Amino acid sequence: MKPRILPWLGAGLLALSAASATFSLPAFAQPAADEMRQALQLGGRVAAGEEAFAVCQGCHRVGALGREDGSYPRLAGQHASVLIKQITDIRAGRRQNLKMHPFAAENVLGVQDIADIAAYLQQLPVPPDQGRGSGQAAALAQGRSTYLQDCARCHGSGGEGDAARFMPRLAGQHYRYLLREMRMIRDGERRNANPEMVELIRNRSDDELAAVADAISRFGAAGN
Amino acid sequence: MTILSRPRFIPLAALLLFGAAVAGADAPATVSATCAACHGADGNSRDPAYPKLAGMDQEYLLRQLKAFASGKRKDETMSPVVESLDPSEFAALVAHFSRQKPEPGRQRKPDLAAAGKKVYEDGNSDSGVPACAGCHQPDGRGNARFPRLAGQHPDYLLKQLMAYKSGRRATDPLMITVGQRLAPEEMRAVVEYIAGLGSE
Repeated sequence: MKPRILPWLGAGLLALSAASATFSLPAFAQPAADEMRQALQLGGRVAAGEEAFAVCQGCHRVGALGREDGSYPRLAGQHASVLIKQITDIRAGRRQNLKMHPFAAENVLGVQDIADIAAYLQQLPVPPDQGRGSGQAAALAQGRSTYLQDCARCHGSGGEGDAARFMPRLAGQHYRYLLREMRMIRDGERRNANPEMVELIRNRSDDELAAVADAISRFGAAGN
Repeated sequence: MTILSRPRFIPLAALLLFGAAVAGADAPATVSATCAACHGADGNSRDPAYPKLAGMDQEYLLRQLKAFASGKRKDETMSPVVESLDPSEFAALVAHFSRQKPEPGRQRKPDLAAAGKKVYEDGNSDSGVPACAGCHQPDGRGNARFPRLAGQHPDYLLKQLMAYKSGRRATDPLMITVGQRLAPEEMRAVVEYIAGLGSE
């Protein structure tokens, strides 16, 4: 046994995994995204993430199921890349979220913690019991059609999102949270949304957004 | 400190053989000489101003003792006491209190406690107060990272929440945020609910 080889081996593996990282940062995430890149390249550990998630579940609930009233999103099943981007955005102030901000501070969460929590959340089951909209037939049909026309290209036809492009999974999310965030993105209050999305959503009425949110809230747990 | 140089396996073996009945027999002398007056020899403090320590996780207790010793946590009563202790004895002290059996909690004010239960289990999503249950567990038993709260004296809990709110106690940055976000009436209610936790 030559214990001195181990650190070198570790460094080599790290360099290798960094080189083979599949994520390319979206232009809108630049420039202050070093921490995000770092978290993406660290291997997230599910068991450590479950432990670190303890400070989150007072709001996001056990199992990260969120709250139907939309006050806290469901995080279970979300792509790790999306979670890492959102947490590091909130912490750096790129995404405005005053409630969450102190809980994502450097003295609370290390970069490794962020990677671990993201890995833990990504593999959690998403039960099909999310809060849904009113289900009014005409509005729902309109919402579905708008979704397929404008949203599906990035978020997927079943709301499955796209991990490599930092596109959030929407399937399984609570209706009220979806609606809240769409309004905030439209009104410029979320601040870190993809500019393409901001453009698409800019002139939509509350009713139009509600119809789309209702449609999304009916996607099944598996994204279909 | 002769008590520390004594081999540990003898008292440990005694404890294993006779269980909780002899929990006090192997306690460091400092427990009765120094700690017991406020915290009770068995860690079930009778004085509402001083915290119950029985059944608290020893890692948590050790962290607090060290915080007092370093001055990171300050208290007019406790700080000078900790200064008089031999740090090499900390581990034995916290091990003693950690293995004591906590007495069941007592509900004093059911109306306040009912309002407090909501804060404890749901938090306040308008002001961004997390549910206490998220970290401290639904039954308040806590763990190494988050202290046991079940059955704790309401007066002591209220004093700590106020100390976090003012930033005077800064052992946990999250609790400063929680202290700042809790309304005074939410604080008074939640400590009453916590006081009744841990009853059989």
